[in-house]
Amino acid sequence: MIEFFKLYYEHLPAWWPQIVPAIGNTIGLTAGAYMLAVVLGLILAVGKTSKIGPFRWFCTGYIEVVRGIPSLAILFLLYFGLVPLGIVLDAFTAGFIGLGLSGSAYIAEVFRAGLEAVHKGQREAALAVGMTPFASFRYITLPQAIRVVLPPLLNMLIMLLKDSSICSLISTPELMLRAKDLASEYFLPMHVYLLIGVLYFALAFPLSLLAKMVQKRMSSSRRVTE
Amino acid sequence: MFDLAQTIYFSKVLMIGAVMTVKITFGALIIAIIVGFIMAAIRTYSKIRLLEIMVNIYVEIFRGIPPLAQLFIIYFGLAYAGVKLEPATAAVLGLGLIGGAMLTEVFRSGLNALHFGQREAALAIGMTPMMALRYIIFPQATRITLPPLGSYAIGLLKDTSIVSAIAAPEIMFYARNLVTSTFQTTLIYILAALLYFILSFPLARVVDRLERKQRAWT
Repeated sequence: MIEFFKLYYEHLPAWWPQIVPAIGNTIGLTAGAYMLAVVLGLILAVGKTSKIGPFRWFCTGYIEVVRGIPSLAILFLLYFGLVPLGIVLDAFTAGFIGLGLSGSAYIAEVFRAGLEAVHKGQREAALAVGMTPFASFRYITLPQAIRVVLPPLLNMLIMLLKDSSICSLISTPELMLRAKDLASEYFLPMHVYLLIGVLYFALAFPLSLLAKMVQKRMSSSRRVTE
Repeated sequence: MFDLAQTIYFSKVLMIGAVMTVKITFGALIIAIIVGFIMAAIRTYSKIRLLEIMVNIYVEIFRGIPPLAQLFIIYFGLAYAGVKLEPATAAVLGLGLIGGAMLTEVFRSGLNALHFGQREAALAIGMTPMMALRYIIFPQATRITLPPLGSYAIGLLKDTSIVSAIAAPEIMFYARNLVTSTFQTTLIYILAALLYFILSFPLARVVDRLERKQRAWT
């Protein structure tokens, strides 16, 4: 057991300078993909409930198809599959777009559930007292929908953070890829992967605590208003 | 560019992988359900604080680390420590344990949703705790947990794609092999994606129906 940790003591000074920028890349990749997913997800959620037929069909179809395909397949399609068509993306861009596209389908469902959770009468009442449709969305629907949406949105961020690890399979320079390199360079897979696991956990755990806190808060404030 | 004979050949090869994908999914699902149910039962009914804390630690750790990292620890890490597992075994074990952590939460909320009087009444008329779980709690909790369990199964099916990274011979593994021998990246990966979609879409429809049904119950 002591020997196990001694190896960390010996190798960490060499590993650490390589790992730190990789952590930065993982965070950047996750944040970028998350932003893309939230923006696309909002558009898709609006589209799925829209009255314009083709727009609604497209959004519904997109959500169904993307939710049925593993993100790895989407990443491979973007990174390798587009090359014969003359579109060459670098690994980071492909990872960012791929994660964003697959995340958006889930986030769209989260938003839709949030919007549907607000009773129709709320909006009708707002319109009846003379608010414009935009004002009623901004001041009546949105504040109530956010309560429902925020906890699952945070969970999605955690999921994306973990999913960013599969971008290593298309050689996006992030934490997992660095881990694979280090593991094969030093031939210490157990040590490297355990360390990486701890690092991912250190990134995800505070988020998971935050999500739990927000959930508690939101559900208790909901009870007060009801 | 499009060659029908080749497409059929690719599909046939990918189908071999699809069988493995389904096998791994089922294996991991069974482990996840068993582990998840035991953990949830401990978390809900156990009076021993230490057991509860251990369950919490298990859940947080397995939910906080990417599946890929856990698979690498189980496959490469354990091999280094002297335990050599088959890729498919490592995949079933890894995905099953991760799923167990996720299902703990699902089952726990299912058990919590039942009024505690149900169990107390069962015990009061002389059932053993095991019988109460089997005949009173379980049938009712199943209704609540079935839709999230279904969504988990879909997620699991898609997550099996990453076990290609430890060379378990499933769809993505065959797709990558085909690519290295033919370079038809676009066609092969589209076929692979299609295959996953064909596998997961019926499941998604079932989950959808269950969810709608459940809304009607409550």
